Amino acid sequence: MSVQYGAISWNRQKKVYDVTVLSLLALYLGSFVGLGAWLHPSATAETLLIRALGTAAFLLLHVVLCIGPLSRLDRRFLPLLYNRRHLGVTTFLLGLAHGGFALFQFHALGNVNPLVSLFVSNPRYGSVADFPFQALGFFALIILFLMAATSHDFWLRNLSAPMWKRLHMLVYVAYALLVAHVTLGALQSETSPVLASALILGVATVLSLHLAAAFREKRIDQARRQAVDEGFVEVCKVDRIAEKCATIVSLSGERVAVFRYDGRVSAISNACQHQNGPLGEGRIIDGCVTCPWHGYQYQPESGAAPPPFKEKVPTFQVKVVEGAVFVHPRPNPLGTHVQPAEIESSQGRRREAQSR
Amino acid sequence: MFETLVKTFVYALETYAGLGLIFAVPFVWFGIQRVDSEAQGSAIGFRMLILPGVAAFWPMFLHRWTRRIVEPPVEKNPHRISAKP
Repeated sequence: MSVQYGAISWNRQKKVYDVTVLSLLALYLGSFVGLGAWLHPSATAETLLIRALGTAAFLLLHVVLCIGPLSRLDRRFLPLLYNRRHLGVTTFLLGLAHGGFALFQFHALGNVNPLVSLFVSNPRYGSVADFPFQALGFFALIILFLMAATSHDFWLRNLSAPMWKRLHMLVYVAYALLVAHVTLGALQSETSPVLASALILGVATVLSLHLAAAFREKRIDQARRQAVDEGFVEVCKVDRIAEKCATIVSLSGERVAVFRYDGRVSAISNACQHQNGPLGEGRIIDGCVTCPWHGYQYQPESGAAPPPFKEKVPTFQVKVVEGAVFVHPRPNPLGTHVQPAEIESSQGRRREAQSR
Repeated sequence: MFETLVKTFVYALETYAGLGLIFAVPFVWFGIQRVDSEAQGSAIGFRMLILPGVAAFWPMFLHRWTRRIVEPPVEKNPHRISAKP
C-alpha cells in the first residue's frame, strides 16, 4: 500500500526471501557447472553456462507456477506467494542470460543480424527431430520480459488489475513454449532418461496442482443461491465462519467475502484492488481485512483502505437472522459504509422468540 | 520469401523497441507524473525500474500524455460496474 511509488518496499521478509533465493540459485549454478565439467570434460564453459542458466530458469518457472495453486490449497504456502514477483523477475533474468549467451555463441559471429539468424539458420520448421526450437525460446522470453517489466505496482494501477492479470496469464503460453523448447531441443540429443523424466514430472506437478485448485474454486462459483428475503440471499450459518475470517460466496458475477469479527458480520467484494488477491482468504488484522497476498488492508464496514491509502472495494448489505447470514447481492458504491450485522442481538432475538 | 518475412518482423520489432526507448527516457523523467499523480516526487530507482515497461507500452503512455489524461483508468469488474452510484 503506498501513496507514492518507490522502487522496492524492502522489509525483513523480502530480504530473507531474496537472500535465500539468490543463495540457492548460486548453489545450483555452481553445482551444475562443476558437475557438468566433471562428468563431461569435453563440454565448453560457455555450453555449461548456457545449460545451467536455462535449466535454472525453467526450474524456477515451475516453482513460480506451483506457488499460486499451492497457496490456494494450503495456507502454509502463503509466505512464498508474498514475494513471488521477485522470483518471476529472476526467472526472466536467468532466461535472458541463457538466451543472450546462446544468441552470441550461435548467431552473433556471422554477418547476418543475430535475431534474423535465429529464425532462418535452421529452416526445418516441418521436422520434429530438427525443429528450430530456439525460436520458441525467443517468444517465451518476450512474454517473460513483458511480465517482469510490468511487475511493479505502478503497472497494476496503470493497466488496471484485470488487464494486468490477463497479461500475466500469458505465463502459461510461455510455459507451453518452453516445454516445447526443451522437448524439441535439449531432449532430442539426450540419451539419458533423467531429463525426460524430470520434464514429465514437472509438467504433471504443475497441471495436477492447477486442476486441484481449479476444482476447489469451481465449487464456490457454481453454488446457486436464491433470494429469500427482500432480495437478500442466505450465505451460510454464522457459526461456520471462524472469528476474524471469512466465507466466500459467488454473487452478482463475482465473489463476495463475508467476514465475522467482534460479534459482527460484514461483506465486501472479494477482489483486492491491488492484484485482485482473494480478500476472503485473508484475516482481520488490527481491525482491517488484510489481503493474504501482499497485506493490502480494507475496513470491513466501508471497504476503504485506512487513510492515507486510497484503495476501495464495493460493500454489501448484510443481516443475521436466527443464526443465518444473509447478503444482498447488489454491491454498494466503492467505500460505502454499511452497518455490520450484529450476531449477538440476532441470536438474542432468536432466544426471545423461542421463549415466547 | 520466409527470410523476407523474418527480416520484416525483426526490423519492425527493433524499430518498435528503439522508438520505445527514445520515448521512455524523457517520459519517465518528465511525463510520468502527468499521467499518474502517485508518481509525483518518486525517486530515480522507481523511474529506472519502470523504464523497460514504458519502452514496451509506449503507445499507451504517448496517447495518455498527448490527450492530457491525468489519472490511470479505474478498474472494472462485475461488482465495480454494478456498484456505480
